[in-house]
Amino acid sequence: MELLITALIIAAVLFGIGLYGALSQTNLVMIMMGIELMLGASMVNLVAFWRYLHPESFSIQMFVLIAMTVMALEGAVGFAIATQRFRTSGSVEMEESAELKG
Amino acid sequence: MISIQLILLIIFGLAAIWFGWRVFMTSSMVRSALSLLGSMVAIGALFLVMEAEFLGVLQIMMMGTEMSIMAIFMMMFMMDPGGLGNMDMSHQKNISITAAVVVTILITGAALFADWGPIATQIPSPHEQNRLLGMEILKRSMMIFETAGVTILTGMIASIAVALSIKNNAKK
Repeated sequence: MELLITALIIAAVLFGIGLYGALSQTNLVMIMMGIELMLGASMVNLVAFWRYLHPESFSIQMFVLIAMTVMALEGAVGFAIATQRFRTSGSVEMEESAELKG
Repeated sequence: MISIQLILLIIFGLAAIWFGWRVFMTSSMVRSALSLLGSMVAIGALFLVMEAEFLGVLQIMMMGTEMSIMAIFMMMFMMDPGGLGNMDMSHQKNISITAAVVVTILITGAALFADWGPIATQIPSPHEQNRLLGMEILKRSMMIFETAGVTILTGMIASIAVALSIKNNAKK
């Protein structure tokens, strides 16, 4: 049981750090790094659930593959937005993106 | 009883947390990207410790590439990529710290006090794991896997469309 709890606590702390980064950073790339950390924490949770609770269920590993896909896509689309933003305003600072409020 | 698996789990877990913390604590953007790479590799090592060999290797390979690209983008887009000016690029710090601490405590509480049921001791061998994962992908989860493939294609098209230069479009 202590192995599962240890993995879940590690994931909880990683998720907290990622959340802090996503909320506190003003730069788009740094916000993306926070989101990546949160997704990484969720993957640790999933693998821990697979290993210690249901090693016979491979749909959990499938879920991890989907989470990795989401990470890669988040990176690709995020960098595309950063590229366009840098071209139009010369910066990827999100505090300067107040016009997106609508 | 403290097992080798528990010791390795704690070592790589602490490494992942320390590198994750360094991402937001250094003023050098390149160091941030490399710290995130360290954190992701430590997460991959955690997968290996938890005997998910395929996912561990995949995680390390994917994140190695992604974080290297991220480091290049950091140097391209940041005003002070080396962190020489010690610029503070954060805001609403107190709210962020409070939210992070509250969420961490809530998840830790859920992990500690939930009834997880019996813990599995036996797992399939790495060879058998790969076979079973392949069967899962090709049978029950095939539609989900195909959807992920189409989503990646959509993401690629969307990324190219978003990143295209507006000036060039206007000329045409």
